[in-house]
Amino acid sequence: MTDPRLSRRDFLKLTRDLLLTASGLLGLGGLLRYLDYQSQPPAPTEFDLGPASAYAPGSRTVLPQVPAVLIRTETGFSVISLVCTHLGCTVESKSDGFACPCHGSRYDLDGKVTRGPASKSLAELRVEIGLDGKLILHTQ
Amino acid sequence: MRRSLLLIGSTFLLIALLVAAWQESRRVKPVALTPTLTGKTEYCISCHGDLAEISKSHPVQTFGCVICHGGEPLALEATLAHSTMRGGKNPSDFSVVESSCGGDDCHSGTAESFSNHIQRGTTSIQATYAGAIALMRYTYGAQPDPAALYGVTSINKPASTTGVTSLVKYEPISESNPQLRLFGGSCLTCHLLVQPLVNGGRYDHFTGCAACHTPTQSTDLTSVDTSTDTNIHKLTTAISYTQCDTCHNRGNYDLRSMIFVARTDQPADRLHDYYQPIAQFTRCEYTLDCVDCHTRDEAMGDGNLYSSKFDIQYVRCKTCHGTLTELPQTLTLTDPDDISFRLALVNPVVELSLGDIILITEKGEALWNTRLLPDGTYQLVGKATGQVFTFKPVMGSGCLQDPADQGSASCHKCHSVKR
Repeated sequence: MTDPRLSRRDFLKLTRDLLLTASGLLGLGGLLRYLDYQSQPPAPTEFDLGPASAYAPGSRTVLPQVPAVLIRTETGFSVISLVCTHLGCTVESKSDGFACPCHGSRYDLDGKVTRGPASKSLAELRVEIGLDGKLILHTQ
Repeated sequence: MRRSLLLIGSTFLLIALLVAAWQESRRVKPVALTPTLTGKTEYCISCHGDLAEISKSHPVQTFGCVICHGGEPLALEATLAHSTMRGGKNPSDFSVVESSCGGDDCHSGTAESFSNHIQRGTTSIQATYAGAIALMRYTYGAQPDPAALYGVTSINKPASTTGVTSLVKYEPISESNPQLRLFGGSCLTCHLLVQPLVNGGRYDHFTGCAACHTPTQSTDLTSVDTSTDTNIHKLTTAISYTQCDTCHNRGNYDLRSMIFVARTDQPADRLHDYYQPIAQFTRCEYTLDCVDCHTRDEAMGDGNLYSSKFDIQYVRCKTCHGTLTELPQTLTLTDPDDISFRLALVNPVVELSLGDIILITEKGEALWNTRLLPDGTYQLVGKATGQVFTFKPVMGSGCLQDPADQGSASCHKCHSVKR
């Protein structure tokens, strides 16, 4: 009958194997983490705004992710950037136009400056309707 | 032997990997921000994401951190990230302010003259200390009149319209009068370039723009410690008198020994805290804050060099109250670009509209937090407190004033507060 207790040699071997296995797993984890690293993606320049039919004529829809406002008129779509042309703060949509909360620039509903310090109108962004009827907004 | 070596080696390998994993887990997780204004990615908010927005006019998403503070935008290790910061915690220190607050034509060299705060602040009497130096030298016979010749730094301002176009750096060591040497050694500590007092005391303040615009003092006088956290991240134009007091009411100088004698009273209310015990003042002088009456030009300068604070300080009681024969001057807001709208936006204690009638000073500076009411009285909203005050003009009242004497001492004869 064999001795059920581990011999010193087997104990050392088992310990070594466990240590090497743990090291291997740690190393593998590190490698996976390294390979999985993703640098910061560049800011999107194209936005899928969904079906054009979702926007009623006469509507003005703020798109905070851009930021911009989508305007649906009887004749089509237009998009005005909500980035203030003074220093780049995000302007707020008001009943009579847009107001910059940082330094007080005001714009009318078409994005034209009505009060400084901004001197340029809000930028107009390009929007198009894809073949599938979806609106695609381009910021560049 | 070989097995033992293998065991020892595998143990060290595991320990090394564990240490590496532990260090990795302690590394700052990078959080990128690409401010709209600069378009350049920076990682400052990886560690400083919990800081409050410094002001409504400087949102971090627009400005980021580096445009004001400098530093290494892509570094995640603190020492490296902070190695090239401007002015340490205070980028508004006048030694670096041109490249921080004044950088990119923000508050310096802009087409909007009222935004050129750097040119005004650095030449103001609060920055040059020229008035005190001139007055002391004149008093002790070192110069024939109190016109400013010296400042705490050298300044050339050829376009100055006051007759003072340059100041030479004051070197008290070259004075022959021992009192002036004492003055130079002890008293050149009351200007915006001096080393900041940020020890957690009642009169702590920063240097440069932050001396006034970063509130280091609480207005709660019942609190044991009225000073706020020196890591405070705030810029404001709602400046309480407690901030002005960090320089202007923290004590006196003994003119015999030229030693600063700190204020020792521990006032627990505004009436006793606002002015020192010997001062005479009216009710509005302690219920309002300093900035409710004193204007931007008075406090920050107008870009000219001055010999005395009395040459730039011009607001008097009559500015708001008029005289027996004249009403105070007013302005009807008809220009949507009037600076009053901008100032009211930065500190929104009032909502101004086109057509509003506000008070203006003799120099035409807008007192944008005032308004003429339909009944002929006036309203002022405290810039720091938001408190609403109404007041009447002197004209038509029973005031016994001599219209030719509009100094505050004349008004104090009847209207000073007893405490």
